[in-house]
Amino acid sequence: MRKNLWLLLKKDGRMMASGKFFLVALGSLLVYTLYIHFGYLRFMDMEIYNVYLYDPAGTQDEASPLIHSVGSLEEMDAMLAGDANGVGIRVTDGKADVILYAGAEKIDRHRADYALSLLHPDKEDRPEIVGDNSPEMKKRKEITCELLFVEIVAVGFLGMASVLFKEKKTGVIRVHAVMPFPKSLFVFSKVFLFLLADLAFAVFMVLFNVGIAETGHILPGLLVQTTILSLVMAFIGFACAMLLKDFKQFSLVYLVIALFAATPVFLSANTSVKMEWVLYHPFYHAYMGLKNAFFGMPVMNPVYYICAACTIILLFGAASAAFYKEMGKEG
Amino acid sequence: MIEVKNLTFSYGKDKQALHGLDFAVGDGEIFGFLGPNGSGKSTTQKILTGILKGHGGMVSLFGKDIRRVHTQDFFQKIGVLFEFPYLYTNLSALDNLHYFSSFYPKKQLRDAEELLDELELKRDSWRKPVSSYSKGMRQRVSMARALISSPQLLFLDEPTSGLDPAGAVLFRRIIENERKKGTTVFLTTHNMLDADLLCDRVAFLSNGNIVALDTPGNLKEQNSDRSVAVVYRCQGKREERTVTAVEMKEGIPFAYDELISIHSQEPTLEDMFIRYTGRGLS
Repeated sequence: MRKNLWLLLKKDGRMMASGKFFLVALGSLLVYTLYIHFGYLRFMDMEIYNVYLYDPAGTQDEASPLIHSVGSLEEMDAMLAGDANGVGIRVTDGKADVILYAGAEKIDRHRADYALSLLHPDKEDRPEIVGDNSPEMKKRKEITCELLFVEIVAVGFLGMASVLFKEKKTGVIRVHAVMPFPKSLFVFSKVFLFLLADLAFAVFMVLFNVGIAETGHILPGLLVQTTILSLVMAFIGFACAMLLKDFKQFSLVYLVIALFAATPVFLSANTSVKMEWVLYHPFYHAYMGLKNAFFGMPVMNPVYYICAACTIILLFGAASAAFYKEMGKEG
Repeated sequence: MIEVKNLTFSYGKDKQALHGLDFAVGDGEIFGFLGPNGSGKSTTQKILTGILKGHGGMVSLFGKDIRRVHTQDFFQKIGVLFEFPYLYTNLSALDNLHYFSSFYPKKQLRDAEELLDELELKRDSWRKPVSSYSKGMRQRVSMARALISSPQLLFLDEPTSGLDPAGAVLFRRIIENERKKGTTVFLTTHNMLDADLLCDRVAFLSNGNIVALDTPGNLKEQNSDRSVAVVYRCQGKREERTVTAVEMKEGIPFAYDELISIHSQEPTLEDMFIRYTGRGLS
């Protein structure tokens, strides 16, 4: 049994290598790391909205240097016309009025509050800061979590399909039906290799983007969450690749997963948009498990792990059934 | 080796593929399973090789009920050649053989290079990816894959498909050699020549039923009108006449100047198949 598994692992590793899977994963790791270091952190440090101040009497002497002063109302209008997200402040008789192009109501309030806060930046009514993460570390963890989630959900899923469609197309899956080893090993070996690849990817992503000091602390919880997500996606990918006719159909299913499964999860988990039904969305819990692990708060609820284990067992059954169906097909 | 009694199988409720087949295949026999597309040949082979489950009736292989026989030990004893050459196209012939053979005990393995030599695959292609092979070359590698584990029971599905005439002759010789070693062969084919030349017995399958089962010679003999067609020349004119065996007892029963040819009018296996089933093979 162990010898047969080893033979299948060697073969699948070779298939993944010849399909450039490891090269793609390495490329993704490099691109994500460069983006986080040289893109995301810098973007997030930029001003969120430009604020333009018209104060002909010069009463706002405490104003933040982030504010751009304008010499006339006409100039302010021109600035806002060219920067619709910008916020204008007109001060007359010591009273500040906010001028802006309307967007979403809640965001407009935020824009106005932000602009007014820049008039008195040194005021001592700052909120109490909780949590141990510095703003930069928080950003690093958030974006690393998002990209790791995308990598496991998308790239691992598509990678599994690309290897399986090759074997399906050449018909060798049917030869394995008459080979002397338990057929479930064929499913297990592929899923196990993808799991190892995802775990290695997670370790390097965290090391390169969160730092060695934090990695030791968060890694165990992170690997548990990565294992759950990776197994779920690998089994779904396996079953879809067996049941669907070709890679085109598979890509459509992937689009459905990306659009209808991942989008509401990201919206609910990372923005103030709250959808009550998202609590019934399994990917939401998988994503939050991963995110909480990044912030050193691994999921402790046993129900979560029982549900995850049941899902994985059910998906293994579905993938095996799809595999048996494919083996029995005509040439 | 194989014993099948009242074998039935259905794909879903309304699609019965096999309607109670009965046959037996002895040790070292080459048994031909002939039938048109959709007649149930592949279904039967899949049941015998353990790919399809859920059949009715009794099937035993190696003296054991099939439901208990599909273990690793069983798969070590059988070799299967599929209708299409299923191989890893990014691997070479040798790498494919090494990979597939690695699942069998070493003591029962044949030498991959000797097999490829026997199957007359050119040596300079052995280490090239299978993607660069012609269909005939792939079929030779597939045959090598089926034989490399020295199977006691060999399932062959259209073995000479995709081969040129010389390749077909070579494959028939190899199948004959397997029989001489004592291997039992279950041959599924459309090819009447293969069946006629190789099989000890053949079964004609139509719509999930066996409609005839006997040796190719008996099947033809039983349905023969025992006549020959004689082509001859008489007074400068070319003539043809059909004469029965009884009429031929005393020699050619008519005057002629020159005999051009004498052909037996024995029916072919395909004629027999059409007679028994009312259908052609394709």
